[in-house]
Amino acid sequence: MNSQAAPFTVRSWATVASLLTVATAVSWALEPHVSLTSQAMIYVLAVVIAAYKLPWVESAVCAVGAVSALNFFFVPPRGTLEVDNREHFIALTTMLAVALVISRLASGLRRETEVAQRNERRAHQLQTLATDLSAVTAPQEVLTLGRDALAAAFAGPCTLALANKAGELDQADGLEPAVRDGMRHCMKEGAVLGPGTGRWPGLEAWYLPLGDKGQMFGAACVRPALAADEGGREHAQALCAVLAQALWRLSLASSMLAAQGEAQRQQLQSTFLAAISHDLRTPLAAIVAAASSLQAQRDRLGQAEQERLLESIVSEASYLCTMTENTLQLVRLATPGQDLQRSWESIEEIIGAVLARVRQHDPTRRIRSRVPEGLPLIMADPVLLAQLIGNLLDNALKYSDGAIDLTVEAGPEAIEVCVKDRGPGIAEAERETIFQPYVRGDRSGRRGTGLGLAVCRAIAQAHGAQLLLRPRHGGGSSFCLVLPVEPQPPVAELPLTELP
Amino acid sequence: MSLRVLVVEDDREIRTLVQSALTVEGFEVQTAVTLSEAMALLQHSPPDVIVLDLGLPDGEGLQLVPEVRRNSGVPIVVVSARHQEAQKIEVLDAGADDYLTKPFSVGELLARIRVALRHRGTALAAAVTVHALDDLRIDLAAHTVTRDGAPLHLTPTEFKLLARLVRSAGRVVTHRQLLADVWGPEYTEHTHYLRLYMAQLRAKIERDPAEPRHLLTETGVGYRLAAD
Repeated sequence: MNSQAAPFTVRSWATVASLLTVATAVSWALEPHVSLTSQAMIYVLAVVIAAYKLPWVESAVCAVGAVSALNFFFVPPRGTLEVDNREHFIALTTMLAVALVISRLASGLRRETEVAQRNERRAHQLQTLATDLSAVTAPQEVLTLGRDALAAAFAGPCTLALANKAGELDQADGLEPAVRDGMRHCMKEGAVLGPGTGRWPGLEAWYLPLGDKGQMFGAACVRPALAADEGGREHAQALCAVLAQALWRLSLASSMLAAQGEAQRQQLQSTFLAAISHDLRTPLAAIVAAASSLQAQRDRLGQAEQERLLESIVSEASYLCTMTENTLQLVRLATPGQDLQRSWESIEEIIGAVLARVRQHDPTRRIRSRVPEGLPLIMADPVLLAQLIGNLLDNALKYSDGAIDLTVEAGPEAIEVCVKDRGPGIAEAERETIFQPYVRGDRSGRRGTGLGLAVCRAIAQAHGAQLLLRPRHGGGSSFCLVLPVEPQPPVAELPLTELP
Repeated sequence: MSLRVLVVEDDREIRTLVQSALTVEGFEVQTAVTLSEAMALLQHSPPDVIVLDLGLPDGEGLQLVPEVRRNSGVPIVVVSARHQEAQKIEVLDAGADDYLTKPFSVGELLARIRVALRHRGTALAAAVTVHALDDLRIDLAAHTVTRDGAPLHLTPTEFKLLARLVRSAGRVVTHRQLLADVWGPEYTEHTHYLRLYMAQLRAKIERDPAEPRHLLTETGVGYRLAAD
């Protein structure tokens, strides 16, 4: 306080002098019209103003000065500080007493106003911080907001550090050794350390934990720390409490997310096991039956019958392959942290490769493809996209008769790849559920794993793309993959090397 | 004298199956279950072609390729499971000639072996300079490409790309190999150039670029110029 007052001293004394001068001048001017009592009141007014505006010492001096000036200039005998009248003496003494009391009261009032304003600022800061923290999504953002808040509230230097999962300070090497030790200690004790706290009062800073024992998110070091500054310490504690709460919310959210992921994984696993019991056993049974029949009865089977059994073995086995591939892909895509092998790919090429494979099951060429020239490149995992488009075509071949259209349309922001069939279509109620694992739209008894579309959607989602099912005008379904188009890679003429 | 095939495969079922299928085709078949066994056989009696499984009990089949390449150009056909994509490319870049993804049919295996054998020794002997299939005819020496007898006009880059594929006709060539051989080793990550130039090439050579007959895409691996 004293150090803060020093620069103002000269101005304060100047104010005292000018207040007294003005009061004397006014009293002088009014002399012919008013009594000594009114002149005294003018001096009292000057004293009150000084008491409200100036520190205690200056206002007290102002009070003494006012009484002296009144005595000197206006109380007879004039021009001296003597008082010849008992009544005047009592008046002057009372006025001095009144002036001192007012000055005392006014400075108290001023101090209280200051405290109230500071408290209001602090309350406002807490409120703003709490609002800002409610929107954060990462501990690092909490750290930044917390540092800003401490820097705004305290002269500093203040330090804020987070704890890692093991409860150790993060990036502890970057801290001053004394600060680091203080932070560690307050985190261990789960209590505030420093002046006025009763714990380590000799420290030159306050050390505050973020969180409670068992749920410790970090610590703060706040300076300057004075034992008497209870309000400052409470404010620092309040700031830390708000920060700890935000960190707690974040940790809760992330553990909830993990729990959700785990639950989904278990759900997938159990549906997978349920599906295996039927969808894997049936083709296996067919293979074993056909193969064992060939083994045991080959001599008695006709040529055509043998051919039929062999074909059944091959087709059931390739069905098992597709199903295994889809299942593995679904599990892989559902596992967090799986990176796609993305590169710049051409949709035309991927479609060409898929068609080369699918045509083996399409001897009558029911699939008609229309791929325009000059399509933009896409950032994608080509193996996954090929699996997606392949699954859609396999489905169309399996569940519909007649022509199947494979179309590609490019817009400025998206490429749309559609597989359109003239099958029975899919009922409104099933248009969303059909994309869930192990759900099949088909009730005709034809076998399918109910995995194909789930994999397709998972692949689309992994690419930030959409897989939509639209009923087709005139009957049938249309499955459309809407892929976002990203800014194209720069193309400059590359130098050629001489081929050997 | 019949051609000798070394089959390195740890799974007994697949090993016996491949062995009998190849024996029927007239190959003399040797089998190895482990890397070390394969190495010993290679020292003892060098085969004409190697069929190599990627996952072996005493190490990755990948390790064998540079070892073989150090002193031999014997064709290597790699057999991999689906999830071994990255390894497959690595092994092709290391010098393997072609690959098959499990599950494969015997027909596919035989076709790959035939192509691999056709290229046997091309690194030493005069390289293939003429490629003809269906309507397409490419003559590297004369620098001409014709479709149904009509000449096609290719840019120098397109021609170099095509020429590189002709030299490995029937075999897969990885993106990395193509970029390194046509543009230079510092451009091996620029796959988008390949996409653009292949699209241009297809537009000129193929009747239906969306369903190519000649310039086949091996998704995620590279390209193959169809040989039959």
